[in-house]
Amino acid sequence: MRLRPRRLRTRLTLWYVSGLAALLVLAWAGTCGLLFWQLRSQLGHFSIQEIETVEGLLYFTPQGHLQLKEDYHNHPESKDVIERYLEVRGGDGDVLYRNDRLGGRALGGAPVPGEGVGGYSERSERLQDGTRVRAVSRLHVLDGRPLLIRLAHSEEPLYARLRELFLASLVILPPVLVFAWLAGYGLARRALSPIEIMARQAQNITPEKLHARLPVDDKDDELGQLAKVFNETLARLEQAFEQLRRFTSDASHELRTPLAMIRSVGEVGLQKDGSRADYRDIIGSMLEEVNRLTSLVDNLLTISRADSGRLQLHRTSVSVMELVRQAAGLFEILTEEKSLHLCIEGEEKLQVEGDPIFLRQALVNMVHNAVKYSPPGETIFLRVRARDRGRVAIEIQDQGPGIPPEDQSKVFDRFYRVDKARWRESGGAGLGLAIAKWAVEAHGGVIILESEVNRGCVFRVALPRANGPEEDGARPG
Amino acid sequence: MQILVVEDEQKMAKALREGLEADGYFVRVAHTGEEGFYLINAQPFDLAILDVMLPGHDGFEILSTIRRRGIKTPVLLLTSRDAVEDRVRGLDAGADDYLVKPFAFPELLARIRVLLRRGKPEADERFQLADLEMDPARRVVTRAGQAIELTPREFELLEYLFLNRGRVVSREMLARDIWKETARQTPLDNVIDAQMVRLRKKIDGQFEPKLVQTVRGVGFVLREGDEA
Repeated sequence: MRLRPRRLRTRLTLWYVSGLAALLVLAWAGTCGLLFWQLRSQLGHFSIQEIETVEGLLYFTPQGHLQLKEDYHNHPESKDVIERYLEVRGGDGDVLYRNDRLGGRALGGAPVPGEGVGGYSERSERLQDGTRVRAVSRLHVLDGRPLLIRLAHSEEPLYARLRELFLASLVILPPVLVFAWLAGYGLARRALSPIEIMARQAQNITPEKLHARLPVDDKDDELGQLAKVFNETLARLEQAFEQLRRFTSDASHELRTPLAMIRSVGEVGLQKDGSRADYRDIIGSMLEEVNRLTSLVDNLLTISRADSGRLQLHRTSVSVMELVRQAAGLFEILTEEKSLHLCIEGEEKLQVEGDPIFLRQALVNMVHNAVKYSPPGETIFLRVRARDRGRVAIEIQDQGPGIPPEDQSKVFDRFYRVDKARWRESGGAGLGLAIAKWAVEAHGGVIILESEVNRGCVFRVALPRANGPEEDGARPG
Repeated sequence: MQILVVEDEQKMAKALREGLEADGYFVRVAHTGEEGFYLINAQPFDLAILDVMLPGHDGFEILSTIRRRGIKTPVLLLTSRDAVEDRVRGLDAGADDYLVKPFAFPELLARIRVLLRRGKPEADERFQLADLEMDPARRVVTRAGQAIELTPREFELLEYLFLNRGRVVSREMLARDIWKETARQTPLDNVIDAQMVRLRKKIDGQFEPKLVQTVRGVGFVLREGDEA
C-alpha cells in the first residue's frame, strides 16, 4: 500500500494543512489551559475572601455549638453563598460545622499537619460524590479554641466551560481546515502549474527535435532557473547528438571508401581473364583495402571505448623524455628517408603520472603527423620543459605547410584531414590527432595547436607533472 | 598434425580449413560448440581453434568444460571482441592464446606454430637460403660469400624472416614482434615498409635471385623463387 500521495501538490497541501491543524490545536489547547488556570485561581481567590468573611461570622452558642451568622449577607440568596461548601473542624479533627450545601459529605479527610497554618492551603479535590472542588483551609482561633475552616467552590462549571470550548473547536476547526486545504491546494497548483507546462513541453522534445527549448518566464525565480538549467542541458545534448551524428556519417563514409574499392577491384578483376600474376595483384590490392578497413575499425573501437569511458588508464610514473625519444625513434627510418632532422631537447628528470601506452600513442600520432607533413630536409623540434603550476610542456614543432586559421579548430576533430586529396598516400583516416587529444585530456592535460600558413605547426601539450622524488618539495600538492 | 576448428560461420570455417590444410595440417571443422565438444572428447587433437561467439554454448563455456574434463589440448580462441576483460576471461578459462578478428592469416599460422612448438627448445642454428647465410650467434650475414652490414633492427628483421622462412609475415606480426608495439593502431606501416625497402636493398641489391619478397596486401616473405 502506498501511503505517500502521488502528486506533489497534494503532498504540499497535506503538509500545509497538517501544520496548520497542529498549530491551531496547540493554540487552542494553550488558550483553554490559560483560561482554566485563570478561572481556577480566581475561584481560589474568591474562596479566600469568603473564608475571611466566614471567620467573622462564626460564633459559639452558649451550649457550645458552633454557628454561622446567616443574616450578614444583604443577599443571602447570592449564588456564591449558596454554592459554597463550608466545613469547620475542631482542634481534634471532629466536625463542628457543615453547611447545608455540603450536607453529610466531608470536605476532605482528617486535617493534615500544618494545614491552614500561616496562610491558605489551596488545592483541588473531589467530594465523595465525585464533584470536583477548589478548596481553601485556614486555621482560626475563636474563643481560645482552634478551628480549621475549610471552604470550597465547585470546579464543575469550569470543566463545563472547557467542554464547551472543546466542542466549539470541534465545530469550527474542520471547516477552517477544509478551507485551508482548498486554498493551499489552489495555491500549490498555481505555483506548480509552470512545472506541469514545462513537463508537457519537455515531453515533446525527442532526439529529432532537440533544438526545441523550454520557455523561460522569469529567469530569476526558481522555475526560471530550472528551465534555464534544463535548456543548457538540452543544448549540450543537442551538441553531443550532432557530434555523434556527424561522427556516424563520417565513419560510414570512411568505411564506404575502402569497401567501394574492394568491390570495384573485385568486380573488374572478375570481368576479364587474367594471368595468375594479375589475379594475385587484384587480391593483393583488395587485401590492402582490407588492412585499411581493419585499422580504421580498430581506431573507431578505441574512440568508442574512450567515449564511453571504458578505457582504463594504468598509471605509473613515466619519464617524458623517454616517451618522446621512443615516439621519435619509431620514425627514425622515415626521417632518414626524407632527410628530416629530429631535434629533441629538454629536461631529463621530468615525469608525469600516466599510462605509458596511451601517452606514447598520443606522441607517436603527433610526431607522425609532423613527419608526414614536413618537406624533406627540414627540422622537427621536440621540446620538453617544466612549466609553472606543476605542469610539463611538450612541444612538437614542424616546418610543414601549416594549417590555415579557419581549419585550426578542426584539427582534433575526428576524420579531419588538412589535405583531403592526399591522405591515401600518407595513410591514416584523420583519427590520429583525435586520439592524441583524447589521451592527453584523459590524463588531465591540454593540447593546443599554433600554426601559421607556410610557417609550420606547433603542437603544445601540457600534462600535470608527477611528484617524483627529484621534486624540490616546494610545490604544494 | 590434427587441428580442430570450432567456428559457426561457414565462410570463415572454410577459409580456416583451406588455409590450414595448405600449410600441411589435418583439419576437422565443427560448426557448433556441442559438435566441437563431442569431437574433442572422441579423438585427440594437437590443437583446437575455438570461436568465442557460437550459437548455444559459447566458446568460454566449451573451453572451461573441456578443461574441467582434464583435456589439455592447446586452445586458441578467436573473437571479434577486443576487450581486455574478454582476453582475461579467455585466458582464465584455460585458453593458450587469443586472436582478435579480423586477423591476418600469417599471424594465425605463426601463433599455431608457437603453440605446437611450445615446450620444445629452439635450436641455436645457422640459417641458409640460396647463397644467403646468417649466423645469429656471431651476428654475421653473408651473400655469395660477401659480408653484409646490417643495423640491429635489420638484423632482427632478417632473423625473423628466416625463422618464418617460406611463410608470409604480416605487418602486424612485425609491429608486435620486432617493434614491440602493443597498441594495434600505431601508424607503423610506413615505417615497416621503409625498413623493408632498406633491408631488401642490402640483401638483394645486386644479387639474384631476389629473396626478400613483398606479398601485396599481406606482408613479406623470405623465399627462393616466386611462390610457395
